[in-house]
Amino acid sequence: MGEVELSCLAYVKMYLHSCLFPRCSVNGLLLSSSPVGGPLCVTDCVPLLHSHLPLAPITQVALTQVDVWCAQTQQRIVGYYQANACVSDSSPTPCALKIADKIAEQCSGAVLLMIDGAKMSQGYRVPPIVMYERKDSRWTLKDKHMIMLRQWEETRSVANQLLDSGDHTLLVDFDSHLDDITKDWTNQKLNAKIAELASPVNGNV
Amino acid sequence: MASVSELYDVTWEDMRDKLRKWRDENYRNSEQIVDVGEELINEHSSKLGDDIWIIYEQVMIAALDCCRDDLAWSCLQELKRQFPDSHRVKRLAGMRLEALERYDDANKLYDSILQDDQTNTAARKRKISILKAQGKTAEAIRELNEYLEQFVGDQEAWHELSELYINEHDYAKAAFCLEELMMTNPHNHLYCEQYAEVKYTQGGMDNLDLARKYFAQALKLNNRNMRALFGLYMSASHLAASPKVSAKVKKDNVKYAAWAASQINRAYQLAGRGTKESKCSMKAVEEMLESMQITMS
Repeated sequence: MGEVELSCLAYVKMYLHSCLFPRCSVNGLLLSSSPVGGPLCVTDCVPLLHSHLPLAPITQVALTQVDVWCAQTQQRIVGYYQANACVSDSSPTPCALKIADKIAEQCSGAVLLMIDGAKMSQGYRVPPIVMYERKDSRWTLKDKHMIMLRQWEETRSVANQLLDSGDHTLLVDFDSHLDDITKDWTNQKLNAKIAELASPVNGNV
Repeated sequence: MASVSELYDVTWEDMRDKLRKWRDENYRNSEQIVDVGEELINEHSSKLGDDIWIIYEQVMIAALDCCRDDLAWSCLQELKRQFPDSHRVKRLAGMRLEALERYDDANKLYDSILQDDQTNTAARKRKISILKAQGKTAEAIRELNEYLEQFVGDQEAWHELSELYINEHDYAKAAFCLEELMMTNPHNHLYCEQYAEVKYTQGGMDNLDLARKYFAQALKLNNRNMRALFGLYMSASHLAASPKVSAKVKKDNVKYAAWAASQINRAYQLAGRGTKESKCSMKAVEEMLESMQITMS
């Protein structure tokens, strides 16, 4: 299977989501605005839940709403991420596999990304992620050399800056949106902040 | 770095009251508690009177959450000095060991409390938390079940057990726990709504029907519960679209779903007043409603 690129925006939001709810399992959807057929580039993500991940109704509502938003914004759902509450075990849970399977039905080349909590300590050097791809109807570990994070150092720095400034609390996931529907789960405000921090270095986020 | 009192222009009494509010309402906003509590302890301890001990406890636990072992240790020392033989303080010492992942040492401490006092629920619950932290979910569930046989009124424990079962995808048992909670807390809309979500996830017509009823009940108790509103919409739509239901059931559920959809639309209109994000959420609801119409006909 081919290379998968993870953009700064997608990585930072995913990472901040797991930092915002350190005692919960969190999950979300990975999106791409790149055309079908080319190499897979995850350009954005939508944080979904931080409670009751295996329960169906809210997940279904969220998937529908994100689908509609993607259609409006020329994006597509290309993957799923999850961070487990228990840092000692970063393997995909049954509910992660189920949702990833559903996504793979619509998008061949879909990826399943687990955030490895054990690697998120201060001063961590490598991206704390483990990626799976679909081979022969099973999710198998993807060769980490095929996962590209352009300008990793700068991406890591952006994430840390947002944590230090407390701006990570700007992040809205679908769960928070349901608690207060005036909150924007597309995270336009946070996206702008990330673009601001990333732009001196990156040409594109 | 500016102090909390400077940044927010508050007095030490305000800070003390805030800590009390957070304590009473069981908030786990640990970073804030550490900021406010540390300053209160360092600058105003003489004014706090006997309150200081419970504040030490609160700040210590928050410090553990924020990886501030220095602060946790100093709070613990003050408490040990004041209450040398206290089980309550021993439990705090155990929690510090847990935070340092010294689970065997923590367990020894809790076991010694239980030897002295078999009914010490706090120590038993800490031992279960250790199992959970170690990923030993099946054991945690077993221990928690045993605990609940003895302490059948412990709401927090029933809720914890329901969460553990949900994560293990044992929805029938999760539902049982939530039923216990609903019986003892009939006005709590959250338990109704969680029960409904579990039933919905279990699937099948009977469960969907129950789900719909309990989503409706949750809305009766709190008509702003968006999850319950969406849940009512989803369950009623599925029931209405199913070929297995009678004409009357279909008709009723079409009505429920339409009502839910209109309430959702209204809520989003009020919330968004035409902002871009709410437009897309509204569109999603409209699309959901349209798709339901198609399966109706």
